[in-house]
Amino acid sequence: MNEDMPVWAEGLVKTFGGTEAVKGVSLSVPRGMIYGVLGPNGAGKTTTLRMILGIIDPDRGQRTLLGHASPREVSHRVGYLPEERGLYPAMKAREAIAFMGALRGLDWNEGRRRAGDMMEAAGLGHAVDRKIRQMSKGMAQLVQLLGSIVHRPELIVLDEPFSGLDPVNQEHLEALVRSERDRGATILFSTHVMSHAERLCERLAVIAGGRRRFEGTVDEARGLLPMQAAYVPCDRAEEAGRLLPPDAVHDGNAWRFTVPDGGAEALLMALISAGHGVAGLTMQRPGLHDAFVRIVSDAKRADAEAAA
Amino acid sequence: MNSFVRQVGVVARRDFTAVVATPTFLLFLLAPLFMILMSLLGVTGAAHLADASQDKRRIGVIASPADSPYVTAADTRLRALLPGELMPPQLVVIPPHGGDDATVARALLAAPDPDYVAILYGPLDRPMILKEDGRRSAYLATLAEQVLRDRKAGIAPDARLSMAATAETRHTGPSTSNQHVTGYAAVFGIFFLTLLLAGQSVGMLAEEKSNKVIEILAAAAPLEAVFLGKLVGMFGVALLFVSFWAGLAGVALSLVAGAIPLPALTAAVGMPAFAGLCVLYFTMSFMLLGAIFLGVGAQASTMREIQMMSLPITIFQVAMFGLASSAASAPDSPVARFAEVFPFSSPFAMAARAANAPELWPHVLALGWQALWVGLTIWLSAGLFRRGVLKSGPGLMTLLRRRR
Repeated sequence: MNEDMPVWAEGLVKTFGGTEAVKGVSLSVPRGMIYGVLGPNGAGKTTTLRMILGIIDPDRGQRTLLGHASPREVSHRVGYLPEERGLYPAMKAREAIAFMGALRGLDWNEGRRRAGDMMEAAGLGHAVDRKIRQMSKGMAQLVQLLGSIVHRPELIVLDEPFSGLDPVNQEHLEALVRSERDRGATILFSTHVMSHAERLCERLAVIAGGRRRFEGTVDEARGLLPMQAAYVPCDRAEEAGRLLPPDAVHDGNAWRFTVPDGGAEALLMALISAGHGVAGLTMQRPGLHDAFVRIVSDAKRADAEAAA
Repeated sequence: MNSFVRQVGVVARRDFTAVVATPTFLLFLLAPLFMILMSLLGVTGAAHLADASQDKRRIGVIASPADSPYVTAADTRLRALLPGELMPPQLVVIPPHGGDDATVARALLAAPDPDYVAILYGPLDRPMILKEDGRRSAYLATLAEQVLRDRKAGIAPDARLSMAATAETRHTGPSTSNQHVTGYAAVFGIFFLTLLLAGQSVGMLAEEKSNKVIEILAAAAPLEAVFLGKLVGMFGVALLFVSFWAGLAGVALSLVAGAIPLPALTAAVGMPAFAGLCVLYFTMSFMLLGAIFLGVGAQASTMREIQMMSLPITIFQVAMFGLASSAASAPDSPVARFAEVFPFSSPFAMAARAANAPELWPHVLALGWQALWVGLTIWLSAGLFRRGVLKSGPGLMTLLRRRR
């Protein structure tokens, strides 16, 4: 049992029609955390989440959900927003939310009551009795999200929750995810949009080519890449470039380069000694986007080499 | 288990409401009314046409004035013995014209009005009957025989030798023929309702597949619960439909009772138990065939595929009806035993058995056996769906091996 790890998976493998979509993914999601599963399209994120939830069975590997080897046993403690959104078009929003709650064990009437409150809080109070087919895609998506959390689950799994939402609704969704975490829920979500992951995730895993390529915090991911520096000399900017690392590029204002392994101090001393001075210097870690691109590129290269 | 039952209930409730709370359901509920109206119109039209042509047809007897009253009297007596569908056209007694009767008969038969279909002429002990192709001559031959007998016996045409009195009574005890009729009625009724209502389940998962709700259902509940819930929901719709029409039929029968003769239905297990068993067997039949329809329909991706798949199932269902009908007409035959045991014909055949045999314990066994097959069919359907649509789980052979 892994009660402290609401989601635990070890070596999950899934093959569809002779193609191995997931090749041994392992995940551990600590309780009360917002955890991101990142990956390019077709990386195996959705398949991994579906195996964890018990919608499909892995061909190999083990997983526990809220400490149970059979995910079905705890389905009433889990909320799930699938990648492909689905609601009954003829159902009213309130009924749709109550129905999804009832499937997870919530009393239907209580579900209706909560649905009204939640829609009111999400700014959809005017649409509680509107049929799904009469709603915009964004509204329907929010309704479905509310349906997946109406029973106040301990674990919320969201598959690409931000796709199809406008920026305002994306903000609403981010706020909702944080409030659910504050309530005590564990949130596991997949995305390939780094900005959301960077703002929300406390830990993340990057999946590419069916394998997990990274696991850690956002800072740890960013730490995979060296610091980048932007240096503005006081004098003779062109000549200063000769002292900088080979990847240094002048953008018309500053020299940009990767900080050497030993740090920037020796380099700065050399620049000052040569009389270039320091008019400006900033050093920063690359963003999660760059780290993600690097991880995925390395993964592709490694796979290609292995195949060769 | 509680969770399973609850999830079945949630899915069933959603499906029941989704079907019943729509204007289309009213159309579905009243569909038999349109069918009945159309049938009545068709039958009335056909009867009108038949009557119109029947009215114009005649049979004729060329008879002397001395024979004429005997012919008329014998015709009246013979017609009293014949049911409506065997009644010959109206008889015309044609006086001889003094010429060749054969020529006269041929001319009358060829004339358009009146439309003679057969004419008898010549001496009554050796009459000649001229008739259209395909017409029967037996009535006119018998008529001639009867007239000759009356004349030889010296019985006056208007004489009444026997004055019979009639009293009516009903057969109250069970009779084998009534039980057979009851058994067949049960088989037909259950088959018809199942065909009409269980077939609706073939496209029940199409909605979930097209609007992706299946992913939510599959994540929240076992597919077996989803399948069973859908069947139960549809069965609720079927019960509503049957109750509505049974109520209407009850009212209609109470209105016409006495005015038209109704068949006396008797069952060996007693009518209340028989009615209860019929409801149970309809339930099982609906669940069994509905589960097949649902499972096969779940594999389809388009309406065309669903329609293509429905046909073999319907043929299978008709075959089961044929099997059970044979069982109803020969209750103790090996065919009947087979039909009672074979799970997909068992509900029909056992309903027939309830009409023909008084023991109740076989019904307990049969209901348990059928329930087992309902579960097995749903389990297999869900497994195939999981494999075919969700692309997960073992293949059919692996499922069967695991079962063993």
